[in-house]
Amino acid sequence: MRSTALALALLVSMPSFGAAQSTDDRAQGISLEELGFSKDQAQGNKEDQALLDKRSRMLKIHQELGLITIAPLLATLYTAPGDKSHQAARNRHALLGIATFSLFDATVYFALKAPKPKGTIDKGSVRVHKAFTWVATIGMLCTPILGAMAYDQSQKGQKVHGAASLHGAAAAITAISYGGAIASVSIKF
Amino acid sequence: MRKIPLIALLALVGLPSAGSAAEWVLEQSTITYSVSHPLHHLDGISHAAKGKGVCRANQCEFLIAVPVKSFDSGDSNRDLHMLQVTRAGQFPMITVRTTIPETLSGTTVSADLEIQFAGQTAHYSQVPLQRRDHDKQSRITGTIPLKISDFKIEAPSLLAIPIKNDVPVALDLSWLSR
Repeated sequence: MRSTALALALLVSMPSFGAAQSTDDRAQGISLEELGFSKDQAQGNKEDQALLDKRSRMLKIHQELGLITIAPLLATLYTAPGDKSHQAARNRHALLGIATFSLFDATVYFALKAPKPKGTIDKGSVRVHKAFTWVATIGMLCTPILGAMAYDQSQKGQKVHGAASLHGAAAAITAISYGGAIASVSIKF
Repeated sequence: MRKIPLIALLALVGLPSAGSAAEWVLEQSTITYSVSHPLHHLDGISHAAKGKGVCRANQCEFLIAVPVKSFDSGDSNRDLHMLQVTRAGQFPMITVRTTIPETLSGTTVSADLEIQFAGQTAHYSQVPLQRRDHDKQSRITGTIPLKISDFKIEAPSLLAIPIKNDVPVALDLSWLSR
């Protein structure tokens, strides 16, 4: 009896038996920990996924609003009145400009508010997209101000002059940079 | 007197099985996925895979794992979107398991792969892999004909056009025998 008990104790406690056991485990499946991945790396969590989902949702809205904004932007350019236009044409142009500005603001809002995982560094076409967007944003702010100045000068019966005369050029630069912002994330150059 | 032979017998039974398992360790890797879209063709590359193989009873079991976020397509925005659609927040790792015979002839190995990705498991049978041995090293190359629908991944779209369902994954793995 005593020798049987000793044998059993040895069987359980012998290191070589333990090693054989672990080999059997490995045969059933090598674990990620064995490869050197920590549990934190191997296991995800719902919070991280929720952040990614929220980011994608907001950027999708950003993308859709950005495409929708093209319509009033083109309409604003198309309805641009000349120096000798009527009041109604100017009002129509101004209203379309306000609509473009508002939609552009909403588009930028969703891009800025989209959450980003910590440590993300911008790389690739998104940097070009942002550069174009900066130019478009400055243009979106300057163009209506210059337009209002031009409108005011026209109302007074003056020929549009000074900074106001740059309204058309500012609008063109804004439209081109806006197109560039869209193209940079749509087409691979 | 009866105790000594019993101890010796137990020691003999326990020892050999622990020492006989040959092991392979993944030294270097390049894993590349390719996505096709009418406006784009892009590749995402990772060098962060880790892998191990254990050979017993003439069979070698391999596990290769790579973090989803380690793939770099050259565009951070696109990579983050890839993480979202592949549910990498919840399932951050891609694992590939396979069992192949310990002794192989020829340079082509046909492997049955079990891939866990995006919380799903898919099997790819008889994937041809090329093998080149050099001393204790073995270089394995090949392409897994991965389809995103196999992992219930909704195809991301650009300008309302979805990417192709086929996303082949090219493997270039350098293994070292221990």
